[in-house]
This record gives sequence, structure tokens and C-alpha cells, in this order.
Amino acid sequence: MRTRREFLTVTVVLGAAAALGPRSTGAAPKSMSVLHESSFIKAFDEFFVKKLALEYEKLTGIKINYEPVSVGSLLTRMTTVAETRSGPEVTATGFNWPWLFEQSLVDVTDLANEIGQKLGPWYDSVTDAVVINRKWKGLPWGNIGQLEVYRTDWFKEVGVTKFPDTWEELLDVGRKLKQKGHPFGFELGHGWGDNHGWLYPLLWSYGGREVDRDGKTVLLDSDETARAVDFCRRFYKETMLEDVLGWTDVNNNKAFLGEQISCTNNASSILVVAKRDFPELGRVTDHALNPQGPKGRYHLLNPQSHSIFTFAQDVNAAKAFLRWLYDDRQLSAWLVAGDAYYAPFLHAYDNHPMWNPEPRYIPYKESLKTSRLPGWPGPPSHAMSESMAKYAVVDMFAKACQGAPTKEVIAAAVLQLKQIYKAK
Amino acid sequence: MVGGRGLGLRTRRLYLPLGFFLVATLFPFYWMFVTSIKPNRELYNAKIMPLVVHQPTLQHYVDLLSQTNFLTWTYNTMLVAVVTTLVSLVLGTMMAYPLARLRFPGAAVIAIGVAATYLVPQPLLFIPMSDVINRLGLGNTLTAVMLTYPTLLIPFCAWLLMGYFKSVPRELEEAARIDGASRFQAMTRVVLPLCTPGLLSAGIFAFTLAQNEFLYALIFLTTSEVRTVPVGAIAELIRGDVFYWGQLMAAALLGSVPVAVVYSFFVEYYVAGLTAGSVKN
Repeated sequence: MRTRREFLTVTVVLGAAAALGPRSTGAAPKSMSVLHESSFIKAFDEFFVKKLALEYEKLTGIKINYEPVSVGSLLTRMTTVAETRSGPEVTATGFNWPWLFEQSLVDVTDLANEIGQKLGPWYDSVTDAVVINRKWKGLPWGNIGQLEVYRTDWFKEVGVTKFPDTWEELLDVGRKLKQKGHPFGFELGHGWGDNHGWLYPLLWSYGGREVDRDGKTVLLDSDETARAVDFCRRFYKETMLEDVLGWTDVNNNKAFLGEQISCTNNASSILVVAKRDFPELGRVTDHALNPQGPKGRYHLLNPQSHSIFTFAQDVNAAKAFLRWLYDDRQLSAWLVAGDAYYAPFLHAYDNHPMWNPEPRYIPYKESLKTSRLPGWPGPPSHAMSESMAKYAVVDMFAKACQGAPTKEVIAAAVLQLKQIYKAK
Repeated sequence: MVGGRGLGLRTRRLYLPLGFFLVATLFPFYWMFVTSIKPNRELYNAKIMPLVVHQPTLQHYVDLLSQTNFLTWTYNTMLVAVVTTLVSLVLGTMMAYPLARLRFPGAAVIAIGVAATYLVPQPLLFIPMSDVINRLGLGNTLTAVMLTYPTLLIPFCAWLLMGYFKSVPRELEEAARIDGASRFQAMTRVVLPLCTPGLLSAGIFAFTLAQNEFLYALIFLTTSEVRTVPVGAIAELIRGDVFYWGQLMAAALLGSVPVAVVYSFFVEYYVAGLTAGSVKN
């Protein structure tokens, strides 16, 4: 290239070739990628990389790349992949995400039926999250449950050997424990799961609802919601550490492991770390279902699933991989590696050996029957995600705990929800 | 002399404020250090004094270096930061010099455009940028971030350097031209040497920004082997709601060492660059 003009010409031609050139050869892929959030259980990720991926490559010649991203980053990655229609063929999803990316995800009803026939049936509760217009857009492998985590030794100090069955009973116990210097610590800040994990179930158990089934009629302004808010204010003031208002998901783990609190709402991560790093604490830590309120007992649903992007180079190859992955031989071993952190949505695993080594995880399995997506009974829409991302319900409770009147906090939340759900 | 002659006066006016700034500046590093050498039992114990380590351990460093790809991430980070800084400085200089020195139609609009480009938030750009990178087949390669970081850094460097170029008297350059230097020679032999502090300031800022960048690295670098420290550490040391505090702090501390070394070498030029033009003789 001797002149600037030649240089520019070559650059433009190369750029156009790169942009317009063929992107798919139509041949079977040499490799596929699976996008995941880093699992809390390191062995779960390692089992995939060191065992499953290698086995599949040996079997088919297709290399499986595992792409873990940090907690909170998966949606950003999925958005980029869906918008640019380029990237990993398979992705993990959580909550209602299959609804958010519905247009970009392959219908895997055939696979879901096959798996359901072999290992099912599927739990009813999970279909809300992955079945859209009667089409399965994801294959769930397990729920990350949010339950009560508590200190059995400190509960015994106030005469409690069985975890309280109702919120009012828990309040009573918490009051005594706080007086003895063992307060509760339930997250009321802007974390990503432990706040919604107990506040939605609390609302539902008093009969409160965020939005109706139509996804447009905001139902939050009710006597039931007011009773839940009033309870939460008392629960906070009489049982908890004050700084829970600023907590994120990390803080309650740290406070429990630091022996600052006697009870919180969390996944099983606290017990796992306690058993690993603080064995004495691990021996006196236990799990229980959420207490029930006047209108029942509820838990938050956070189903982890696998979906295939529509632009995958070879959708059939991706389906074949998932069919192999969800075969009992692979799935069973992977779930065992996950140390029962993920409660499977297939009834064949109700009595799986994965539950035997640690019976304290069993409540996470039991909670599946009463688990609902945030925003339930409304549809798992974009609006539902927006409500969650803006902490409409969490802030309603948190402001009440800070001292704002019940009517005021409900009115503020209703106003915000009406904007989100485009309700009049 | 600052603080006067008496010891008391000197202590009040010099040593106390100096001590305060020293503590404020070094405290984050101290916090990172003590956290990185505390065993988990001490890290989670809220009843003991958090600034003191009772049973120091190097286990977090051992785990960081043996169980993660930290050294690879560090190498990737340094490579990306050095290449993007050099590219940005060269291209930024080429953009800043004509805007500061030459008179041509539209110069003012372009100068404003440079500043505006720098101000466009990354979240608006990462999806189209990702499309370009994928079309070029550069996904999951360090080249992807080496190409995209300069889109942020070139406007930044150009914007910073325009100010420095303007502060060099035109007469010096004109004298060089009269003595027979070409425009290019006048720039490289007269203006650029006088702007060394500015170039260093822009370089250090660009290096730090490239080293710390998160969003593009998260989007473009998808496997552990090609990740940079910020993305690699967060992807592998934050799992669910459990943070591996000891290893995170060890990574943060080790990751900040290269920048501290770079700063220490160029601190005098850097300060001169920051304060250039603030005092007129």
C-alpha cells in the first residue's frame, strides 16, 4: 500500500468482508458454550468443567465451554447475547428470565416432555417460570430456596426446640432472644435475593398481593397488606439488629457466621460455609420452612434453568447436549456435586440419595410446593422484573420499619406499582 | 517554610495535617492488607478489634495463586493496559495537536465532539460495540478489549492533551519552523518534550482506567484464561451471597501494586503535569 487511498480501500473492503461474510458453515459445531452464573457451590461448577464437559467431548467430539459470570452479571451478558444474536448457544436463567428473553429462546417442549416422562412429573410450581404460551422455554434443574436459618442452641436457651410455626410465634421468640443479646437479622436493604426472599412470602401469608392475574390491576392497597406491614414493623423493632435496613445479601451471612444474629432468611449457603469453616457453629445451625401467616405459608421461587438461544449455530446439537445433560446419569451426579444446594423440580429426585448426607437441607425440597415467583399471582412479565429491580415491595416494608405510617408506605408503593404495571 | 520555625507550630501546621492525609490515603491499603492475612475465623468475628490480626496467615494468597488464574489475569490486565495506553496516547496526541494548534473549519465542533464522545456512558455503547466485535470474530480475545478501550481513552487523552498543547507558547514552535523544522519536527522536537508531564498524566490516567475497566471486559472476555483481574476476581471469588474476602483483598492488593509502581516512578512529572499553568511567573 503506497498511498492513503490504497490503505483506505483495503481497510473498507476487509471491514465489509468481516461484517458480511458467512457466519455459519452448516456443519456440526466443533464446540458449544454454556453461560452460567458462578455457583455458590464451587464443586458444582468444577464437576461440569472437569467431568461433564470432558465426557461429552469424548462422546461426541463437541467441546463444551463453560462460561461462568459473577452473581448479578448474568442478565447483562444474556442481554448482550440476545441483542447481538451472537455468543453462547446455551444459557442458564433464574426467576422469570425466560419470559424476558422469550423471543430469543428455543421451544424445548419436546425435551421437557421427554425428561418429564422419564424423571417427572415436573413440579407444578416451576411451569409459571418457564412455560410461555404452552411452550417450554427452559429446562429447570433446581431451585435456590430461601428459608429460615437459625441457631438451635440459642433457641433452646429460650425454651424453643422446634422452629415456630407462625410469624407471631417467631416474633415472640425473637423478642426473648433479642433481650438475651441474640437478635434476628432479616435483610431489608437493596440486595438481590434475601430481601425478596422473606418479604414476598410475608406479604402473601397475610393475604396481600402485588398485582392481579391480569398483570395490570394493582392489588397492594388492602387490609391484608396493612396487617403484613404492621407485623413487619413490630418484627423489626422487637427482634432485629437496626442495621438490617442497609444490608445486602452478604451481610446476613456474615452476621450469622460472626455469631451476631440467631435467625435470618437465606439459602443453604450459611450452613455450607459454617460446616466448612466453623464446625462448632455448623453443628448448631438448622433450617426451617418460613412461618405461616393467617392466609398460609409461602416461599420464594428462584428456579435455575437452561435455555437455548434461537440463533445457536446448530439448535439440534444444543438440544442433544441438553438431552444428554438431563439424563439421570449426568443430572443425578451433577446435583450430588451441588451438595443439595439446588432442589430439583423433578419428582424422581424427591427421595434421591443427594438428600441423605445432610437432612437439614430437606426443608428446601419441601418448600417447592409452596414457592411462588415474585409478583405472584401476576404473570411473570417485564413489569414484574421491573417491580423487583426497583424494590417496590421491599421499600414499602423498609420505610415502615424506619417509622413511616402504614398508609403512607402502601400508597407510595401503589403509586410506583401503577406506573410499572401501567395501571390506572 | 511550611509551618514556621517552632516545633509546636510546625507540628500543628505541617505534621498533623500531613499525618491525617497519610492515614486517610493509606488506610484502604492497610484494610486490604489486614483482611488478606486474617484467617476466616477472625474475618467473621465481630467481637475482636478489626484493625489487628491475631493469627496472620498467607493462606488466602496461596489459595488465590494456586486455585485461580490470578497470574494469568494479571498478565492479561497489564498487556491490555500497556497496549491500550500506548495506542491511546499516540492517537490522542494526533487528535489533540491539530485541534490545539491548527486553524481549520470545524475545529471547535470537533473539539466539542471529542469531549462529548468521552461523556457517552458505556452502558449505551456495549451492545453495539459487542455486535462489531462479534462480526469481526474477536469475541473472547484480548484484542476485543484492546480495540474497544481506546474508544474511551482516545477522547480522554485528546481532551487532556489539548489543554497542554495550548499552554506551550506558539513562538517556540514558530522559531523552530523559521530554523527549518517541518510541522512534524516542530511537534515532536519542541512541543511534545515540553508536554511530557501532560503525556505522563494522560498515560497514567489511561493506564488506570484500562486496568480497572469492568463492563467491556465482562461482555467480551468470557473464559477464565482471557479475563482481566477485575472480572476474573469477581467471577470466581464472589459466589452467590458468599464473598471470599481474604482472596478478594489479596487480589485487590496485588492488583494495585503495578499502578503504585508506575505512579512512584513518574510522580514528579505527574504532579508537574497536574499543576502546569496553575502558577504564572
